[in-house]
Amino acid sequence: MTLALAAGRETAGGLRRYLRFGEWQLALPLALAFAALFLAPLLLLVAVSFFDDDKFQQAGFASWTRFFTDPFNYKVIADTLLLGVKTVCTTVVVGYPLALVYLDLPPRLQKILLFIIVMPLLLSVVVRTFAWIVVLGREGLVNQLLLGLGLISEPLRLLQTELGLVISLTQIEMPLMLLPLISVMSRLDPNLRDAAAALGASRWRVLFTVIVPLSMPGLIAGCLLVFASSTTAFISQTVIGGVRLIYLPLVVWQQGLVVYHWPAAAVASLALVVSVLSVIAALSWLGRRSTGYLHG
Amino acid sequence: MTNHALSRRSLLAGVSALGGASLLPDLAFAKGTLTATTYPGTWEDAYRAIVMPALKKKEDIDLELAPMFAMDQVGKAKAARGAPPFDVFVLDPGPRIVAIESGLFEKFDGKKLANLAKMPAGLVDEHGVGVSAQVVGIAYNPKKLPAPKGWKDLLVDPWVSRLGLTGFQTTFGTSSLIEISKQFGGSLTDVEPAFVELKKVLPKVAAVGLPAAMPGLFQQGQCDVMYTNTQTVATLKGKDIDIEFVKPESGAIAFYTTMHIAKGTPEITNAYKYLDLVVGKEVQEALTKPPYNLVPVNKDAALPPDLPMKSLDEMTKYINHDWAKINPQRAAWIEKFNKEMAK
Repeated sequence: MTLALAAGRETAGGLRRYLRFGEWQLALPLALAFAALFLAPLLLLVAVSFFDDDKFQQAGFASWTRFFTDPFNYKVIADTLLLGVKTVCTTVVVGYPLALVYLDLPPRLQKILLFIIVMPLLLSVVVRTFAWIVVLGREGLVNQLLLGLGLISEPLRLLQTELGLVISLTQIEMPLMLLPLISVMSRLDPNLRDAAAALGASRWRVLFTVIVPLSMPGLIAGCLLVFASSTTAFISQTVIGGVRLIYLPLVVWQQGLVVYHWPAAAVASLALVVSVLSVIAALSWLGRRSTGYLHG
Repeated sequence: MTNHALSRRSLLAGVSALGGASLLPDLAFAKGTLTATTYPGTWEDAYRAIVMPALKKKEDIDLELAPMFAMDQVGKAKAARGAPPFDVFVLDPGPRIVAIESGLFEKFDGKKLANLAKMPAGLVDEHGVGVSAQVVGIAYNPKKLPAPKGWKDLLVDPWVSRLGLTGFQTTFGTSSLIEISKQFGGSLTDVEPAFVELKKVLPKVAAVGLPAAMPGLFQQGQCDVMYTNTQTVATLKGKDIDIEFVKPESGAIAFYTTMHIAKGTPEITNAYKYLDLVVGKEVQEALTKPPYNLVPVNKDAALPPDLPMKSLDEMTKYINHDWAKINPQRAAWIEKFNKEMAK
């Protein structure tokens, strides 16, 4: 009883101290900025979507029913999410081995590799996207090379295809996969790998039973970032994919800035936000499970 | 003996004086600023090279140019709700009508233009002033393809497999698709035949892209024939790209490019000075010269030989579209284009 009271007093004292000196005041400016610049516009977006006409005269559900009764829009949502999944898969397949290589490099070379990984982030996404036109174009590097080697007789169509888009997004989004992955992996205790190897585990077994599970939080964080970024990459999607590959950001742009039907644009935006967030929520749930698996 | 060492106080005074002096030219000379939109590409280059220094010299106004497509200007002004992000619009007929309907312009008073008498009739109204004309037709790469004769040629080989298409987002895209439709029995408000014909050849078409991406795709050889305006052809030619303009045999499309004062701008006086300068003889003459090739509106402007249109008097010989009839249809056309063209 006395102990419980003492503990209670302790907690209350802790709370008071926390409220007095707590870090929450430090987070206040960010929280206010977040509320004013993100939450308020998001609520505004929801409000705008409940108008039937572009002049905001008539409130109703017409914009929602119009969007969700058109089967074409379901295809657009599915294609958008699928593009994200494909990009995540290719960035993992290409990025994970690179992170493993990074882990085994001496510190000096690690710094150089890290610089190479971060470098694309220093360039505008517009520049990177247009560079891919030069690489994938009909008269671009890839086709010139394949034609020169005699492997093909006609230039391949790489631009304005989903394959070309996924290839370029893989490069464009790669830093977002590698940075969290490397930061988690470089904190792994190297003794664990050595111990597993010393106990007779093969290299593959060490990889799949030690390294991959331990790097899971970084991998999931990377997947999250790549997924969110590639599904909303309007410039890359439209410039490299063309307008025959229709994803939700293009629909938002058309409704908002070409037709000026903002309620329709708001519904398309919310469809994008909700569908991307639900995949992200699933991924973070997986991430939490993997962390629990590690520590629990 | 004099002490030459700098005291903290004298240093501070000196620095303040220097700092203060650096502000003086601004106080003495800056009569004002003006933010005007311009189209990316040739228009931006031309206005940066010619209009910006001319306005500074004549009126002492610092001109800031915001390169934006017409649609984007209207979108941004609508979103700004009475606090426009720029003072003067430059628009094509389609977005112009949307902007008028949305009340985005100040009432325009042509009498405030000193050059009013030099303008052809009908070019100045209560909404704004025409500053040039744009001509839309077919552009192709003469090293890769023979010259197409008309719109129908675009949908047959050898052109169709090198064709770059854009949809209804821009004035030139919409106008061209209407003209294609007319060749197959369509009309100003019926583009269905164009959809039917395009769908037949779609797998062959080289590229379907956003208007802003087309010059880049042409430059990279992704497509070798497209519909576009003469200014884009001039810009690409200026970069040593093999490109020629063709007037289709059924006629090229022409429309006025107009400028308007944004509603709610505090810079109305400067906006009139800018517009008067733009339509004045000197600026108009300079804008007609290569590589800009803009069609002049001032009757006194002397003309170089290779303009697509010599003066706005020729406007009647070109195809003019009634955008008041087109605009109500565009949302549906854009949606249809998405569905018909989607992979």
